[in-house]
Amino acid sequence: MGLARHPVAAGEVIPVSNPLEDPEDDWWNSPVNRRESIWLGLAGAWSLGIFTWMAGFTQFGDQNPIGTTYDVDPDQYQERVGEYKESAEETEDGLVPPDDDVYVGAMRFNWDGLPVVLEAGREYDIHLGAYDVQHGFSVRPEENLNKQINLQVFPGSEWVIPMTFDEPGTYHVVCNEFCGQGHRTMHGRFTVVEG
Amino acid sequence: MSAIASLFRNDYGADGFRACSVTGLDVHRSVENYVKLFGLTAVIALAVGGSFAFSVAMTRWEFVGLLDASSYYTHLSMHAWNLLIFWMVFMEIAVLYVGGPMVLGRKLPLRPLATLGWVTMVVGAIGVNASIWLSEAPNEAPLLTAYVPLPVSPWFYGTAILFLLGATIAALPFFATIWTETRDSSRTLPLVAFGAFITGIIAVEAILGGIAAFAYALAWRVDLIATVDPAIYRQLYWIVGHGTQQINLLAMITVWYFLTHVVGGAVVISEKVSRTAFILYLFFINLGAAHHLLVDPGMSAGWRIWNTSYAFYGAAFASMIHAFAIPAGIEAGRRRRGQGGGLFGWLTSAPWRNPVFASTIFSIILFGFLGGITGVVMGQIQVNMTWHNTLATVGHFHATVALGTTLAFFGLVLFVIKTMFRRDFVSDTLASAIPYAYGAAMSVATLMLMYAGILYGVPRRTAEVVRNIPGSEFSFSAAIPIFMIFGLFALLAILSGVLFVGVSVGSLLFGDRLAAGDDGGMLPEGGLHADGGEAIHAVELRGTFTLCLIFLGVFAAVYVLNWYLLTQLWAIGA
Repeated sequence: MGLARHPVAAGEVIPVSNPLEDPEDDWWNSPVNRRESIWLGLAGAWSLGIFTWMAGFTQFGDQNPIGTTYDVDPDQYQERVGEYKESAEETEDGLVPPDDDVYVGAMRFNWDGLPVVLEAGREYDIHLGAYDVQHGFSVRPEENLNKQINLQVFPGSEWVIPMTFDEPGTYHVVCNEFCGQGHRTMHGRFTVVEG
Repeated sequence: MSAIASLFRNDYGADGFRACSVTGLDVHRSVENYVKLFGLTAVIALAVGGSFAFSVAMTRWEFVGLLDASSYYTHLSMHAWNLLIFWMVFMEIAVLYVGGPMVLGRKLPLRPLATLGWVTMVVGAIGVNASIWLSEAPNEAPLLTAYVPLPVSPWFYGTAILFLLGATIAALPFFATIWTETRDSSRTLPLVAFGAFITGIIAVEAILGGIAAFAYALAWRVDLIATVDPAIYRQLYWIVGHGTQQINLLAMITVWYFLTHVVGGAVVISEKVSRTAFILYLFFINLGAAHHLLVDPGMSAGWRIWNTSYAFYGAAFASMIHAFAIPAGIEAGRRRRGQGGGLFGWLTSAPWRNPVFASTIFSIILFGFLGGITGVVMGQIQVNMTWHNTLATVGHFHATVALGTTLAFFGLVLFVIKTMFRRDFVSDTLASAIPYAYGAAMSVATLMLMYAGILYGVPRRTAEVVRNIPGSEFSFSAAIPIFMIFGLFALLAILSGVLFVGVSVGSLLFGDRLAAGDDGGMLPEGGLHADGGEAIHAVELRGTFTLCLIFLGVFAAVYVLNWYLLTQLWAIGA
């Protein structure tokens, strides 16, 4: 790539900016190196590109941490999970929800409402809330650990997020927000069966 | 005592100034002594926090399994507060004093406030350490975040506020300097002073958020208010939690401009472009606090997308500007001196045996490739679902802070030993080895944390999950090989940290005193300034351009891979 060079007369001192001294008075008007200008264009385009992709994916993508949140007293949420558990069918693998709503209550150091049995390919509304402190809802299928998602769970909020599990299998839930000394023992399960 | 007193002695003129034989700056005794004071305090915090790196890493390496769960969280809290906060913030006050009064050739004004700030910070830091160490049930160790309503000792919140107040007081002499220098003129500050000024503003914003968050939690802990809202606390907390990391970033970049110039002969290729990048930080970087709230309930998607992207990636764009401008400054400076032809001759012929130079360059490269890229990728709200609270997040911030900022600060401390303490290194070979050993070992450990998190979903902040989850048949045992590599390289990184502290303290105590005028091997070939040569805008910046294209290629590859993994998941969300 041939760039025009400015001829330098012998003995001419060309001012050079250094970061420890005040710049020349007309520093704002000094020409920008051409390759830096190109880089500014590339970096700017990349920045806008990834913004557009992220914003667009909320419209056309299938994986978005977006749902509806309701303010709820932690005790009321615990009661609601209790009512749900009573209406659900108990099986050896866990609760079978009566309809499309699945309630999960995070508490030190247990996932109330789990284990649960779900059908593959069916969209459920997963309700997430906590009874005591903050918890982390972290889910992955047993045979493929790199497929995993993580959502924050608060006391005082009921977060309803739709999910459709497409593959049957066992999904493990661990807590990944520090919630106290027994935090590492907090484990639950989804069993997804053929629909 | 006399050994310590001698550390604060130099040959000053009758007016208290001396000319630095490396930078050429007129340095006043008052500035120099406070830079030394804050720097030495930072190194003590580094040594304390680094010791806990050992116990934390050797617990997460369950092959060793050093601590049980009850001690683990305490050690993790000590590690986090001493390294992420105390080591960094004490260094950053020193950076402000260098970037303000020292670069501008002034005395340090308001010295009683600098002392008061230091004392308050030290008392706050000791208090935070004590409150963590002495926590008793039902109180839990705070980790870095002390998320309510998990009960944490009120002493913790109180002493954390004290530390933040101390840092604010200690910053006042810096702001006073900038005020005095600029109020009567339309003066344009030197780039390093300008960068330090923006760093200072970001710091004040962060600190105000921190005081608000901790005061809110403290009020709840001492029963001034009956209830506390975890969502509000998280919003306030992350103003400081993420804000302090932005201070680290800006301070580090300011140090990059400073050190690449002094030890590498770099010039500023465009004052306009580099300053604009700092201004973009000023406006947009603190929006990045939302990175921690991307998978929280309650926040609208629009709020999250706007903030996590720093408004259309204004701050990421700024970082990419520095990513070009700083290496380009080296390339232009060295090409003009005729040092190195071809595409990368300017780089290969650079002073790689000077640990200050090598630390700075490794900091730039490793921060960019490992820390910067992962930060932007995991900061996309959808991808964040796969990174949040996994060890990959821990990998990301070790890349930014342990590789980027800490390496840059290693370089700065070594530079200060030569130029301000005027001591030779006890061993040039050992000093030269520091950036290589630490950079390599910490890079591998960091990559393993990322792999464990993103490929195996191993959670952070837990004492035991890989080999065994108590009470469950499930475990993350597939990740065991990753942890074998992680554990070994974490050990090597800690040993390299020990080497750094050993060489630094050893040089201060036993290093030969440099003679007046001796540059201690810090200056680049040809001296600090080289006249003549072609105009900067006409220098062929081919090498930097190539490096930046490689960077963009890696960025795109990591981006695509992460999105590919995400789209393999089951359907989630509305």
